Amino acid sequence: MSDSLIMLLQALLLVIGCLFFLVGTLGLFRLPDTLTRIHALTKADNLGLGFVVLGLLPSVPGPATAAKILLIWLIALAASATAAHLVARTVRATDASRDREERA
Amino acid sequence: MTLLMDTVAVVLLLLLVVGLLRIWLGPEPADRMLASQLFASTGVALLLVLAESQAQPALRDVALVLALLAVLSTVAFVTRVMQVARADSRGERRDV
Amino acid sequence: MNGPVPGKVSVLQCFASAVVRTVVLLVLWWALTEGDADAVAFGLWVVPLIVVLWWRLFPPEGRGPRVLATLAFGGYFLCGSVAAGLDVARRLLSPRLPISPGYLTYTTSLPAGSPRWLLANTLSLLPGTLSVTLRGPQLELHCLDTTAPVSAAVGHVEMRIARMFPR
Repeated sequence: MSDSLIMLLQALLLVIGCLFFLVGTLGLFRLPDTLTRIHALTKADNLGLGFVVLGLLPSVPGPATAAKILLIWLIALAASATAAHLVARTVRATDASRDREERA
Repeated sequence: MTLLMDTVAVVLLLLLVVGLLRIWLGPEPADRMLASQLFASTGVALLLVLAESQAQPALRDVALVLALLAVLSTVAFVTRVMQVARADSRGERRDV
Repeated sequence: MNGPVPGKVSVLQCFASAVVRTVVLLVLWWALTEGDADAVAFGLWVVPLIVVLWWRLFPPEGRGPRVLATLAFGGYFLCGSVAAGLDVARRLLSPRLPISPGYLTYTTSLPAGSPRWLLANTLSLLPGTLSVTLRGPQLELHCLDTTAPVSAAVGHVEMRIARMFPR
């Protein structure tokens, strides 16, 4: 009984995770410019990854592996925040140099 | 459960392919660079799901390395674009 | 060659820091090797070496972040990132795409170093904000919706981070 309950919960978490990935990909096409696309990709995809990781937790072989996939999620969070900041800064800098060119 | 996980893996793979369309379309180099973020999240999720459904623990290590390398590729891109932008603002044209 | 240890750090604090760092690295090794018994011996050799290197690069600076406030911030951050994902989903799934993107410069009162970096990095994962540049205390943000009370939300996150780092 409790086993099937856990499986149901797992299935639910995995499906929610996929839905957030779907939203992130939708954002890549619906949103008008690079910066807003970064917003969607960073927030939705990391949440999707978080839900997928939670959904996988009950089926991993042991607590060490559970800790490992949680660690991978944390690294992906940090990676995504850093990458978002770096790309946003570059977009800002290239926009600024383009503005200068237009004024010149 | 394995069936569900395989379905999830297929969905993630499809989303990755659709996301690559944005990389194809661009138009800015920064839009193309979003690929690294896409792989760092969707790709990592895909590998973690496959590690469970195919019982391949090594795929978890691949996911870990993919997440770490995604940042490095972004750093490399940013360094290059910044150099080009700086050269442009000094009036030197450089082929990208 | 010991790292430049500031005079105000007591022996007890150094000891506590060494213990915490060793435990963190051991747990990390245990997780990375997925609890493999064959890897334990190797880990016991490597961990002390990494602790020495960590000490050399980042010597302990007085008191570390407060434990309870850090846990509270972790919980707040998780709830906030769920809210961020739902916020993005709501805007994207609504047919008229309710966004009004724009820049906002926020002047933070947090001290330089890790508190400021933590603010910039977590804001990118919280609803409606994306950190663009950080120059001194000037944090330039890109907002998904400039009509929302973004400054107040940022101030709230800033206050929670300030609680983690005792002056």
